[in-house]
Amino acid sequence: MQNKKSIKKKVLVVDDDEMHLYTTKELLQDDRIEVITHKSKYGIGVTNLVRELQPDLILLDVNMPGLSGDKLAKLLRWRHSPFIFYSSNDEDSLRELASRHGAKGYICKGDIAELKNRVNTYLSEQVSTPLYEHILTKIM
Amino acid sequence: MQSVIVQDHAIPVGELITSTELELPQTIVNTVAERFFSTTTLDAIALVEEKKPVGLVTRTKLLFAMFRRFGFELYGKNPILSIADKTPLIVPENKPLHEVIDMALERPPQDIYDEIIVVYPDGSYRGLLSIKQLVIQQSNALANNILQKEIASARAQELEKISQVKSQFLANVTHELRSPVNAIIGLAELLRMAAEKNSMEQIKERLAFMISSAANLRAIITNILDLSKIEAGKMDVVFQTVNASAIVAEVAETTRILVGKKPVSVTVSAPATPIMVTTDPIKLRQIVMNLASNAAKFTESGTIAVTLSIIGNKLEIAVTDSGMGIKEEHLDKLFTAFGQIEDAKTKQHEGTGLGLTISKNFAELIGGSISVSSVFGKGTTFTVALPLQNIERQGGLYNAE
Repeated sequence: MQNKKSIKKKVLVVDDDEMHLYTTKELLQDDRIEVITHKSKYGIGVTNLVRELQPDLILLDVNMPGLSGDKLAKLLRWRHSPFIFYSSNDEDSLRELASRHGAKGYICKGDIAELKNRVNTYLSEQVSTPLYEHILTKIM
Repeated sequence: MQSVIVQDHAIPVGELITSTELELPQTIVNTVAERFFSTTTLDAIALVEEKKPVGLVTRTKLLFAMFRRFGFELYGKNPILSIADKTPLIVPENKPLHEVIDMALERPPQDIYDEIIVVYPDGSYRGLLSIKQLVIQQSNALANNILQKEIASARAQELEKISQVKSQFLANVTHELRSPVNAIIGLAELLRMAAEKNSMEQIKERLAFMISSAANLRAIITNILDLSKIEAGKMDVVFQTVNASAIVAEVAETTRILVGKKPVSVTVSAPATPIMVTTDPIKLRQIVMNLASNAAKFTESGTIAVTLSIIGNKLEIAVTDSGMGIKEEHLDKLFTAFGQIEDAKTKQHEGTGLGLTISKNFAELIGGSISVSSVFGKGTTFTVALPLQNIERQGGLYNAE
């Protein structure tokens, strides 16, 4: 039991909208994925939470009041945590922003198929990317 | 000069006529000279025969001729036509100013300051136009033209700004609508999953969420429609005499429900006797409800106080919360729709600002105003003030006038 739980991939969802956190969690979690949600009004505690949980992937809202997703992305990138931007705005400028900040992708809220697809693809591809990246940045 | 409004320099010269002086061509030179001597403001006289202009006499040219050696003897007793300009510049009254100026300037140098004769379409004499007047009109027209161009460019800039605000507004509206719509889509999918699993518990929970998301969506749409009605000036106001205390008490009751399990107490203080007000009760209720629901949203613990009082010649309803407060630099943007969200990507505060914008407009529609004071970290007070002539108390009418 304990062993099985540790095999589960951890996905952290950060957003200021409670309903959105609920639907994302319910939609994503299954026997392979554990979803942890964090309601963040001002982006408080996200970086600490990331350090504590070591999630395999973070889904990040791009426009939370107080601390916008792109500022948060800078912090997370520094900590080598893989994240995907998650926003209700489907705009090319945001896709650009995502790639500029080193996000692993961009998902438009409300597109359930895309959400499942992206997250599953990323988690199955991911073997030791964070570590590899980590070493790479250390060398450089 | 200022009374002449010149739209542009294509103005017809008929409107600029400065004098209608005329003489018969047979009039003796001395008689005409006498007229010039006695009337110092007279600059020129047209010679008209059977309504048609046949020549022009100007003060300078006539006096020049007369004062030269033997001028009086030579010309004095002759008809005026003998020394008049027999080929003056004659223009139809509908000719535009700039064309007439061009024609006037093309004349030989000695004639360049001569008056211009204006005629009706049938060629009959209408009046004289002084070159001085033409120049003044022309420069006025030019100045006006420049002014109009400046006004036009200022207006264009204003329009561009409005259109920018509108498109930003639209972008923000779309964003605000997407959140509940996305929630409903997600919940619908989750409902389908729950139905497949036959989990009645999940179905019930998700249906409840879906209903609240749909209600939220409806509230946003209602707000947007209200706002566009206000902007179009189509928001109707229906005045009625109501008890303001009852409205306040009712709002406080709903606020208690909104606060839910948070440790926030909602208090009401109002005079014991009913405060009868002639106002639009629906608008007033919506204003106070909006302020109170904002207080409920932003207050995690402490109090929300709704106070009704008569101060001077005003009825004031204040909603005070012990919430997080608003920074001073953000206060002035509060009442602008989407004021908090300058850009969807750099959102600083929760909410659309639609509610407050509508409240402010409603308050103005019913003759009142809304003000706000806040200490960041301590709390906020919103105050609705209504003029006293709308206030009656049981029995008497409060009226300062």
